[in-house]
Amino acid sequence: MRASRIRSIVQDSSFPSFLMLVLLIIVNAILQPGFFSYQVFRINFMTFTPLILVSLAQATVILVGAVDLSLGAGISLVTVVMASLMGATTASIVLISVLGVGVAILLSLFNGFFVATIGPPPLIMTFATSTIWFGIALLIMPTPGGHIPESYYGLYGKSIGGFLPVPVVVLLLALLLCLLLGRLRAFRHLYAVGGHERAARASGIRVVRTKIFAYLVSGIFVAMAALCVVGNTGTGDARSGQGFTLNSVAAAIIGGIAFSGGKGNYLGAAIGGIILGLLINIIYFAQITSFYQEFMKGAIIIVALLFGAVPRLRREISKR
Amino acid sequence: MENKARAGAVSATLKSLAANQLTIAVAAVVVLWIFGEIIAPGFLSFGHIMSVLRLSVFLGIVALGQSLVVMAGGEGIDLSVGSVLSLAVVIASSLLMGKNANIPAALAGAIAAGFLIGLANGFGVSYIGIPPLIMTLAMASVVEGLSLIYTGGYPKGNAPELLEALGNGRILAVPNILILWVVVIIGATLLLFRKRWGAILFGVGANSVTAELSGVTVKRFRMFVYAICGAITGFAGFLVLGYTGTPYLNLGGPYLMASIAAVAVGGISLAGGSGSYVGAAIGCILLTTLTSILVALRTTEAVRQIVYGSLLFVIVVAYTRRRRE
Repeated sequence: MRASRIRSIVQDSSFPSFLMLVLLIIVNAILQPGFFSYQVFRINFMTFTPLILVSLAQATVILVGAVDLSLGAGISLVTVVMASLMGATTASIVLISVLGVGVAILLSLFNGFFVATIGPPPLIMTFATSTIWFGIALLIMPTPGGHIPESYYGLYGKSIGGFLPVPVVVLLLALLLCLLLGRLRAFRHLYAVGGHERAARASGIRVVRTKIFAYLVSGIFVAMAALCVVGNTGTGDARSGQGFTLNSVAAAIIGGIAFSGGKGNYLGAAIGGIILGLLINIIYFAQITSFYQEFMKGAIIIVALLFGAVPRLRREISKR
Repeated sequence: MENKARAGAVSATLKSLAANQLTIAVAAVVVLWIFGEIIAPGFLSFGHIMSVLRLSVFLGIVALGQSLVVMAGGEGIDLSVGSVLSLAVVIASSLLMGKNANIPAALAGAIAAGFLIGLANGFGVSYIGIPPLIMTLAMASVVEGLSLIYTGGYPKGNAPELLEALGNGRILAVPNILILWVVVIIGATLLLFRKRWGAILFGVGANSVTAELSGVTVKRFRMFVYAICGAITGFAGFLVLGYTGTPYLNLGGPYLMASIAAVAVGGISLAGGSGSYVGAAIGCILLTTLTSILVALRTTEAVRQIVYGSLLFVIVVAYTRRRRE
């Protein structure tokens, strides 16, 4: 009985990533001074939170059998819009933040609409829209800048009650959203459509609506991530979101979300996001010179993808 | 009633036209050239057309590699071509150091670097099963890093006379490099449609299961297609150095998006298994002409990005609609 339970844990799609997570925490604890202290925890989550959020966003669309390569450029565009419009008053901050959320969701829905109704390959189509979003962001703000009031980005570094960092609060909100989604029938349809679209359609699931729903949910996560990026950087930058696209896909795959769709869960995606965050942390704290950082970022993702592929490859080999 | 019939005839004509994406691409090039002449007199002069064609060559060589990868199917795409080209430029120039005698070594170095990176891409895609887009995107980051590490931020060396003559020289007003491209186009077309290798490529791209059943080791074949794409891109970097004379970091950046757009414009199915290199070549001329017009209009980088993105978006969406019908 107990053995079978252990086996089911080991065979869970997010188990290899969980092992990797434990290993990385150990390595980080050795490299980063005071890793377990509250301050370091708070600072780490300022960068981890947007990474986890984009992983959830990407996971949602991959689950339905699509992908969104425009998510990074979308974040850039939101930061640029917010930084160019935000004033110092509370009303302005709230209004422009809402606008930022709206833009992020709208961009995602745009992709979702075309992917769902016309059905071009999502990879190439969102690659095209990513170029458009980047161009628009660059048009609004050719060089990084704009104005984000201190009361906005200062808040992102604060803690509630002295023990709950704001980025962690954002994550808790995301968790709440995930739990809520899990109760929705539309969310279960996501798996059905991603796993076998034709079967899903035959059993009466509205495929088009489900796909648009996936992009809507993804857009909400992207919006949250964008608000965090603005809080973390305090500026608008047409290139600030660039790295998120690759990182989000890598995190989702590392977290056991099958690229073909229909398999995996949010827990895995979130772990994937934290794993990437910890890996990027290592690059900084292992005192690797800046020339090597770009190289390391790519290499780490490839290595992580290799590890992520091991259980699947083992399954394939044993099947033969 | 009559109106309706006429509308039907028109739409039928439009459909048959649309059936031939190449016709549209060629028509678009002509329209763009005429438009260019209107906004910037002299656009249609022989000299300017030659210079547009010459610029198309570099993109054209990169697009050859990209075409092969896309044709081989399996959602094949190579997003590392930009950084591979950049790396090839800095490797070639550092090996050349302005000496004609070093050309063979530099050519070998540029091609070998591209080949090895492509091989790594192909291995990850074929044997590990990493989605091509992700594998090559991550590789782009790795290769960009390699360029930085290799040069320490400052690329050294420059192109010798002979290479510059290839990149910038002309024979009877026709750029040398354009003649080279014509040879490449003929060679690639023969390879794709007259040789066994081309048949295998299309076979693998159209249906990897039947290809496997008819004795092709699909995984190994696809891996080598990525390696060949890398090698071709390395060669393109070598040629680009002949054009610029001195190396810069990230010379390959603009070629990534353009190579994919050119392949899509040229009617090569992004699902693999079909298309021709002539199509991609026309796509390259179209994109270079477009760039030339955008430059003539003094547009910013931002507008150019929006135009390229929209172009690719429209092609991808329009192509899908047609396939559905």
